[in-house]
Amino acid sequence: MEPLENNVSLEHPLAELATLVLGIALIGLGILAAAWLAVEGAVRFLPASVEQRVFAGATGRRSPELEALLERLARHWPESAYALKLGIVPLDIANAFALPGGQLLVTSTLLEQAGSENELAFVLGHELGHVTGRDPLRGLGRGLLVSLALAAIGGAEGASVAGSVAALGERSFSREQESAADRFGLALVAAEYGHVAGASDFLRKLPDADGEASVAGRVVGWLATHPRSADRVAELEALAAQRGFPTQGALTPLPPGLRGP
Amino acid sequence: MADAVFQLGVPLFLLALGYFAGSMAEQSHYKSIRVRELRLRRMPTTNLRRPPPHWRVESITLVAGSAVISVDYFKRFLAQLRGFIGGRVRSYESLLDRARREAVLRMKEEAVQGGFDAVINVRLESTNIASPLRNDRGTAGVEVLAFGTALKLARSA
Repeated sequence: MEPLENNVSLEHPLAELATLVLGIALIGLGILAAAWLAVEGAVRFLPASVEQRVFAGATGRRSPELEALLERLARHWPESAYALKLGIVPLDIANAFALPGGQLLVTSTLLEQAGSENELAFVLGHELGHVTGRDPLRGLGRGLLVSLALAAIGGAEGASVAGSVAALGERSFSREQESAADRFGLALVAAEYGHVAGASDFLRKLPDADGEASVAGRVVGWLATHPRSADRVAELEALAAQRGFPTQGALTPLPPGLRGP
Repeated sequence: MADAVFQLGVPLFLLALGYFAGSMAEQSHYKSIRVRELRLRRMPTTNLRRPPPHWRVESITLVAGSAVISVDYFKRFLAQLRGFIGGRVRSYESLLDRARREAVLRMKEEAVQGGFDAVINVRLESTNIASPLRNDRGTAGVEVLAFGTALKLARSA
């Protein structure tokens, strides 16, 4: 009597894998898309005043010279709903961050390496661009979403795979935000100095923006990863040509108080 | 980036390893199970508690067979995915099927070795001997124990 062997399904395991992965991915993507839209809606709905009350804590060393520069730049953006806050943090990398609640952080290394006020103004303008786009708040919401999704998945294997995928997805998305912030920053520099000479100096100094940003990304969780600096410089040059910003002009030296800590 | 490659690569490698090694082990195990089942198919094996009344029992003893089968990474991944949405955990079906049949085979082999003619009152027990859930480590494996009363029948002259 031949054994019946009806206790085992005949479906090929790889077919089952495909069904399960595709099915779960579709359901998960649907939920994620809905949550993504919810974050987007919340970012639009939440007034800046509430955001500033929630994220009130100011960090970093304050610098009157830097704040004066920021204030001059912000004057070209009168509709800002934020009371901007600016701090200097002692970090070994040259970078700047925009945090929720209209708070900007600049690393001491960036200040030490800055060659002109124009260069610094572009960096500040770029971060202001993130503030206008409400990118920090959005990034926080998305980060929260990703953490929740990972927590829901739970399993060690699932979490590591999903984490990598999520990181890749976030990277490609934030390039849009970075480009928008670059455009905003360049317009501010042009409005302040009448030309955009020196604006892209900071970007030119970055050997490879990817490596530098990933270090920073671990310091500030919701920091967006920047696109390749060479591409950004090219984009800025194209924008300057398109908008008719003069690319030649006298560089303004840094205010004396901003030379190092 | 290297981080992401590593994080994606290691599980993918383990999945492939689990799939190929697990399938090979399973296929060769099933081959052996089928051959041995065929060889032992004439030995009456039943869960009746008493021998049929006309049997003249000469001697009895306890025989037992136990098999421990481990899950592989691929099967566990499938089962975890299945755990999200529910349904038959097909990837574990063959695991239990193999453990059960192997345990019965070993029990019967023990009976044959002792010169017994039949096994009655067969019982099956299963235990999971390690849980992967407790600390995310450990190997999920299942043990099936088959035991019964082997009978030696008096040859009718």
